[in-house]
Amino acid sequence: MRLASKFILIVAGILSVTLALNAYFFLRGQNRILEQQLDERGRVLGHLIALISPEAILGLDFLTLNEYAREISRQHDVVYGVIVDTDDRPLTSYVNGDDPRVRAGLGVDGPAPTHLQPPRLQALIQQLAQLPDVIPAEFPIVHDGHELGRLRLGISREKLAIQAREQLVQQIGVYAAIILFLSAAIYLVFKYSVMHPVQRLIEVSRDLGRGEFTLVPVRSGDELGRLGETFNAMTREIQREQAKLHYQANYDSLTSQPNRMLAVERLQQEIRSAHRQQQRFALMFIDLDDFKIVNDTMGHAAGDRLLTHVSAHIRARLREEDTLARLGGDEFLVLLPRLAQANEARDVARRLLEAVSEPVTLDGREVVVHCSIGIALYPDDGETVEALMANADNAMYQAKKPGRPPICFFTAEMNAQVHERLRLEQDLNKVLARGELQLAFQPIFRAGDGTYVGAEVLLRWRHPERGFISPATFIPLAESTGQIVAIGEWVLREAGRQLRRWLDAGLAPGYLAVNLSRVQLREDLEQLIRSVLSDNALPPQALELEITENILLDDHQQINAVLGRLHGQGLRFSLDDFGTGYSSLSYLRRFSFDTLKIDRSFVAPLCEDAEAAALVRAIVAMAHSLALKVIAEGVETRAQLEFLQDLGCDYLQGYLLSHPLDAEHFTAFLTRIARESQPWGSVAVVAQ
Amino acid sequence: MIRLIEGARDARQAFAGRRRFMLGLLSTVGLALAERSIPTASAAGEPPLVMGIFPRRQATLTTELYAPLAAYLTRELGREVRIVTAKDFDAFWDGVEQRRFDIVHYNQFHYVRSADKYRVIAHNEEFGTGTVAGALYVRKDSGITGVPQLKGRKIVFGGGTDAMMSYILPSYLLLEAGLKPDDYETVFSKNPPNSLISLYHGQADASGAGDILIDLPVVREAMDTGTVTHLGMTERVLHLPWAVRKDMPQALATRIQALLTGLKAREDGRMILARAEMTGFGAARDADYDPHRRIIRKVMPSIDIPR
Repeated sequence: MRLASKFILIVAGILSVTLALNAYFFLRGQNRILEQQLDERGRVLGHLIALISPEAILGLDFLTLNEYAREISRQHDVVYGVIVDTDDRPLTSYVNGDDPRVRAGLGVDGPAPTHLQPPRLQALIQQLAQLPDVIPAEFPIVHDGHELGRLRLGISREKLAIQAREQLVQQIGVYAAIILFLSAAIYLVFKYSVMHPVQRLIEVSRDLGRGEFTLVPVRSGDELGRLGETFNAMTREIQREQAKLHYQANYDSLTSQPNRMLAVERLQQEIRSAHRQQQRFALMFIDLDDFKIVNDTMGHAAGDRLLTHVSAHIRARLREEDTLARLGGDEFLVLLPRLAQANEARDVARRLLEAVSEPVTLDGREVVVHCSIGIALYPDDGETVEALMANADNAMYQAKKPGRPPICFFTAEMNAQVHERLRLEQDLNKVLARGELQLAFQPIFRAGDGTYVGAEVLLRWRHPERGFISPATFIPLAESTGQIVAIGEWVLREAGRQLRRWLDAGLAPGYLAVNLSRVQLREDLEQLIRSVLSDNALPPQALELEITENILLDDHQQINAVLGRLHGQGLRFSLDDFGTGYSSLSYLRRFSFDTLKIDRSFVAPLCEDAEAAALVRAIVAMAHSLALKVIAEGVETRAQLEFLQDLGCDYLQGYLLSHPLDAEHFTAFLTRIARESQPWGSVAVVAQ
Repeated sequence: MIRLIEGARDARQAFAGRRRFMLGLLSTVGLALAERSIPTASAAGEPPLVMGIFPRRQATLTTELYAPLAAYLTRELGREVRIVTAKDFDAFWDGVEQRRFDIVHYNQFHYVRSADKYRVIAHNEEFGTGTVAGALYVRKDSGITGVPQLKGRKIVFGGGTDAMMSYILPSYLLLEAGLKPDDYETVFSKNPPNSLISLYHGQADASGAGDILIDLPVVREAMDTGTVTHLGMTERVLHLPWAVRKDMPQALATRIQALLTGLKAREDGRMILARAEMTGFGAARDADYDPHRRIIRKVMPSIDIPR
């Protein structure tokens, strides 16, 4: 129910009750007065008749008495008038047969007799005297001090009731008009002075809900006026807050450039505009190369300042109508509307390369960064936001690849690669369910005596249609989609189970080195490792976790904490592919590694390249000085083996010694070495 | 010229002859008209005839009932007939005594006592009869079945002691039954109808009244006549008389008698009678009231009855 209706109902209710009470007391007073008047009238009539009746009674003039009775009974408001003697016997016989109460009393519907026998008359007047609307009265008829009889009179309240009813109707009519008038007046006043401002407030609130900031016109200084002012203040505050939120939602706080959301919105607008005007535009994805190094070496604050400078440099090279947005991290988007030719985009991209490459001074040091730019053109490379952004990203991905020019336009070939990648992603989703993954185990031998010590666990994907898919292909993909977490868990659990099977078979599998992805290094890794060990009743030394250098580029504090706890529980760690990454020696000191694995790219040229040999020698010496064991990967020739032995390398791994073996063959391998205890020379031959 | 003078003379002679004829004609018509107008002129010159009606009913009602009759007589007699009544019987009787009425209508007792001053010419016919009887009434539930049972009881009579039908005749009936006035309690009601109504209301054990009283509308309206019954009735005697002063010219008296008795034969006459609550007039003579005289002498032995 609306407020105005409620208000008017309450007012009408109060008015009705007040006026009803007033009417009740007024009518009650009126009734009392009228009843007194009626009583007085009856009294006068009675006294008059009582005064003139003695003559007729004494003269036995019943006709005259009857005339009196007739005259009385025909009076208004008189139901009956009967003269009775001292024994209460009627001396008159007349009754007013026209009176409905008399007819009812006599039980007749039509005309009633006007004269009744004394007993019947006596009974009738007793009956009539009992009626609620009859006031019975008696007046003695006295002559010379002697009572001759009485006049019994029945006075009707009917007229009184009718009058009261009429008055009630009249009062109700008047009061209804008053209530109607007052209610209408109050309603109008309420409507114009309260409901209109409230309605306006509601409309403005709705506008506010729709994001339209309309102010309420304030015309009075009363509570509603103050409410309006307060509401306006609130609206202005919301407007400010919304502008702030809009800015925060659409702009990057670091560079003050549009963020991804606004970039997408502008791209959408540009697509519509270009579609209408049949124009071409270019979308660029810019990614800084090796920006992480700056962050890691100079700190995030310096990295942020670098991004600010780079952003300003890029913006300076763009037109006013061009859009520069920071998509996140070190990734930028540039939107170049109204391009006549694709070459214009290339020119701009070149200018942007130069702009990004401009030296920036950070903390007193001059820093130069480069970038890769991927370009997609509308409408050639896509007509939707998603397509254009994906294609520009792809182009940038291509530009990032080593040996590629830093500016790369999207091509259909890239698209095919993308589709291939997508298909692989979809297949990867089902790889665990289908059981297409297998573990392979490559033995690791002690360099000194060729004794088997353990094996590195390698992952194999045997695709039902495409055959063997290299881990180098699907592992990065799994890392980028996050599937590596589930796959990594499966590898750990499967390796643990396999170890348990070998141990249960009475074999000596040594330890298993399992590669960990950077994505797996989360809080729940500890729980997983504990679960694998406890589920298979393995000692912590049964597992060695291999991590690569690039993992260490991430948040080393968190990683160090996780690794530290696992190391504390007895697990061993090895740093994989040492020398291929940034090879910061500080990592070795910062993390608790047990082993360092020299990448095969160093081992391969070992015998031919003196510099390589010197480098490996230095690595081994450095590792040993840090109390780290060294494993050389990719040992494929006997010369390499001997050279590494001479260098004092602790462990060796490579095709020369053994190819990776599936579980079945590795079981056979373990069985054989347990039986024969042969060094690697003969083993390698068998393994192949 | 001579011819002209002779012509003028002839014309004058013819005109004079014609004038004489016209005057003669006018004289004849005038005499005839004068002759016709003389009796009216002479009747109009006489004083009105005073018609006294006894106060049997209220004065206003009496006037209303008999006004058409008075108008009729006035019209027929060519002489105003003026109705006079009285507030009570004493006043009326005084009028009778003083012979203030030319025509008088009263009860039989009145006539018997005033027979030296008035002579009866007609009597009432009511309910189709010209005679009445006195009656004694009792309530049906009283258990009284014979007049002698009224001894020691209260008997109400209508009017007073000069009421022929309501007192004298019932008293005569009581006497005939052996009950003297001292044998019962006598009370009088205002008028005869009230005596019966008094009985009805239990104010007495018996009522003395005319036999026709029970059929009077005024009584039937005021009571349930089925609750009372006749206990006894007298012989039937002639009804209320109409008399004229004894000194009234016989022709006029006869004329009035004829007019009254002829009413029931006329359409307008019957309406006049109905208005007066009568059914007719019957011719009456003094000897017709001898039975009344006999009864009165019996009931009131001491009263002087003139002839």
